[in-house]
Amino acid sequence: MLLYNLRIALLSLKRNWILSAVIVGGIALGIAVSTMFATTRHVFARNPIPQKSDVLYYVRLDSWDPQRPYPGDDPSRPPTQITYRDMVEIMKSDIPLRQSAMFRSNLYVFPDPKVGRPQKTMVRLCFADFFPMFDVPFKYGSGWDKKADAGPEPVVVLSAEENDLLFGGTNSVGKTIRMEDRELRVVGVLDVWRPTVRFYDVTANFFQAPEPIFMPFNFLRPMKLRTFGNSDGWGPSPSIPGFEGRLVGESCWIQMWVELPTREKRQAYEDFLAAYVMEQKKAGRFPRPLNNRVTPVMAWMKEQKVVPQEATAMMIVSLLFLAVCALNLMGLLLGKFLARAPEIGVRRALGARRFDIFVQHVVECELVGLMGGVIGMALALGGLVWMNNWMKTVTQRGDVFRMDAPMAALSVALSLIAGLIAGVYPAWRVCRIAPAVHLKVQ
Amino acid sequence: MEFGPILRAMRRNKTRIGLIVFEVALTLAIVVNCITMIAEARTKMVRPSGFADEDIVRVTSTPFEKAFREDGYLDNSRRQDLEALRSVPGVKAVSNTSFLPWQGGGSSTELRPAGSKGEMLRTQIYNGDEGTLDTLGIHIVEGRTFTREDVERDALRLRQLSAGPRALGADNRPQEKFAQDVVVSQAFAKLAFGEGAALDKALEDSDGDLYRIIGTIDSFYNPYGWPIHEYVVFYPNAARSYEGGAPYLVRTEPGQAGALLKAIEARLLATNNGRNLRVQALTEIKRQYFSGQQVVVTMMTCVIVLLVLVTSLGIVGLTSFSVAERTRQIGTRRALGARRTDILAHFLLENWLITTMGLSLGVALAYGLNVGLLSAVSGAKLSGALVVSGVFVLWLAGLLATLAPALRAARISPAIATRNV
Repeated sequence: MLLYNLRIALLSLKRNWILSAVIVGGIALGIAVSTMFATTRHVFARNPIPQKSDVLYYVRLDSWDPQRPYPGDDPSRPPTQITYRDMVEIMKSDIPLRQSAMFRSNLYVFPDPKVGRPQKTMVRLCFADFFPMFDVPFKYGSGWDKKADAGPEPVVVLSAEENDLLFGGTNSVGKTIRMEDRELRVVGVLDVWRPTVRFYDVTANFFQAPEPIFMPFNFLRPMKLRTFGNSDGWGPSPSIPGFEGRLVGESCWIQMWVELPTREKRQAYEDFLAAYVMEQKKAGRFPRPLNNRVTPVMAWMKEQKVVPQEATAMMIVSLLFLAVCALNLMGLLLGKFLARAPEIGVRRALGARRFDIFVQHVVECELVGLMGGVIGMALALGGLVWMNNWMKTVTQRGDVFRMDAPMAALSVALSLIAGLIAGVYPAWRVCRIAPAVHLKVQ
Repeated sequence: MEFGPILRAMRRNKTRIGLIVFEVALTLAIVVNCITMIAEARTKMVRPSGFADEDIVRVTSTPFEKAFREDGYLDNSRRQDLEALRSVPGVKAVSNTSFLPWQGGGSSTELRPAGSKGEMLRTQIYNGDEGTLDTLGIHIVEGRTFTREDVERDALRLRQLSAGPRALGADNRPQEKFAQDVVVSQAFAKLAFGEGAALDKALEDSDGDLYRIIGTIDSFYNPYGWPIHEYVVFYPNAARSYEGGAPYLVRTEPGQAGALLKAIEARLLATNNGRNLRVQALTEIKRQYFSGQQVVVTMMTCVIVLLVLVTSLGIVGLTSFSVAERTRQIGTRRALGARRTDILAHFLLENWLITTMGLSLGVALAYGLNVGLLSAVSGAKLSGALVVSGVFVLWLAGLLATLAPALRAARISPAIATRNV
């Protein structure tokens, strides 16, 4: 019966193909626009690390100016990053299962002269726990061990792309690279790892890809490194000039993550931070009220407004656009079905039940919806290619906007729902046509 | 023209009319809100910086040769670079400054009139030299800009200042105050000192260090994360880039910026090869800065065009059905003496009435959507003029969409009434 209905529906669409093209084209546009913008937003809004997002926490302490709160939308929030001196102290806690302070720096890498000129390269300075904590995938070797953190031992982890660049994609574990004036040994090469949002550091430029190179945090001092990210300070300049002054001052520039697998651990860690701050208050620091934050991944993304406002606005607009297309579809189907009244009259007279007529027209509407959905999805994919090309000019990444399974499913669901919403009323109207009237006219 | 028949006919077609009314209403709501977003983005994009954007090139030298870590070597290379840049044919002015227009940020500090107990005022702050204003293409209104001697002297003083710790007084601030001459934008001078002359007055920072104003400049606009786009303080110093190299701005003869990029890079690398250079036209930096806004504008424009297209096609379709459905009645009316223009007018008027109903509902929806959007994103409120023009455009679109089916209706022959369809 369904096959029969489908065949009738196809015949009906073929009969007036210009009208059918307008009908299908209209709904295809609606699906294309809404799928494209829903996907664009979803790419930013989705959970970057679903398997661990409820055990990873971002740590903040309010060491800011007593005169006024940390600038931003919400005066109750502490600075987005912590100071070096606080980081050293809280890293001593053994409560977290894993923990890593981190920052990024921009350093010269000297490839083999045959490969190319020296290149400034983004480097993430972090602790050994970084890799297991964020489930970072390895192709060759692994991260460094905790012993290497303390030294710090001269070790690095390369991204797949950087390994391609420096070593032509071969297994480079055990080889050395020169960074600034140091030789470092490669201990691991990452597999392709491209979270859309660089979720482990959303303090600035978080649409960029992860850094190509990772090395132990404690190279900070021996190499006199500076952060390439934001650095927020307050109050008078530090009493010691230069590099050491930045370490003892109140300047906030380090990101801090902990892994707390249970609620008890989280409570214990929050208590630990509170005790630490109270201790510091005695020494005259932390003049503001106690305001520590231990924030889970998704809440932190939300606070930092990872989803661009424009993406949300465009999604709202595109869904309304789809609504207009559905209304349009409803009107056109209604007109089309009613014009067919004489034919329906004949079918009814020959014994078709109202229900049969209803189902057949709903099937036709769903067919239109699905055809529109398929064309719309193809158009949306084209639109995403265009968005990716644009993104490439901004962040040098051409792979940001991808349609994943949930979004493809959403696209199909939207087209079916649009077909159904637009189709039920016209189908209902048409199945209630009294056969006698139209038979008489004929 | 009689409204009676039209209104009575409309009452028999409530669903069809309801659909068009809703469609037109939603269309108006979306279109005017999209245009508001476009207009907001455009306002930012067309606002002039006050600089000769088209003829400025940004050059950053990032050294990897260790010798650059010595101040003397860096100073020397900076002098050579400025010399080399000036020697490139087509270059009008050069400056060694940390200021880069259109990158969406920069550096800022807090100052207030010296000796006052007032609130600290945030402003952008950059180091500049004797060529900075010429290179940017902005002018001194009052006072003077820096001389080469100012720059050399202050570069040395600042280096000595940062060489060792400063003795702190009882207030935890440096005991000995450091004083410098600065050039500020008129907007900042006005913020700090009101309408009166700002020349020779001094500002102080949180360390109590002093900034004496020796000149004010006319136009300055550089969008910043905080609302301090028009406030700037330039102080004389040799600019060092964050990476330990040197940043430059180059002003070329009109229209030559793009053509000179390669020549500039080659000339500087020939001077010193121990570094990487980044040479970009300011127009390119500006384009990147606005690239997000540009995408929003393009997308919104597409949505508007498609939306009006879909709605118009919908009106064409529904009117066609209604013409087809009423073929016999039209034939009868024609047979009873109605002229073609009467039939045409009937359909145009009917659709005009429907569109108008849709548009009145649409105005309400537009404001509702605006409130909804503003709660999700920051943006501009709807302007009344925009809503009115949106109404007119959709009126026009509605009439155009009705025209073809209505003309077809007008061509229906009176003879049709006598035939069975």
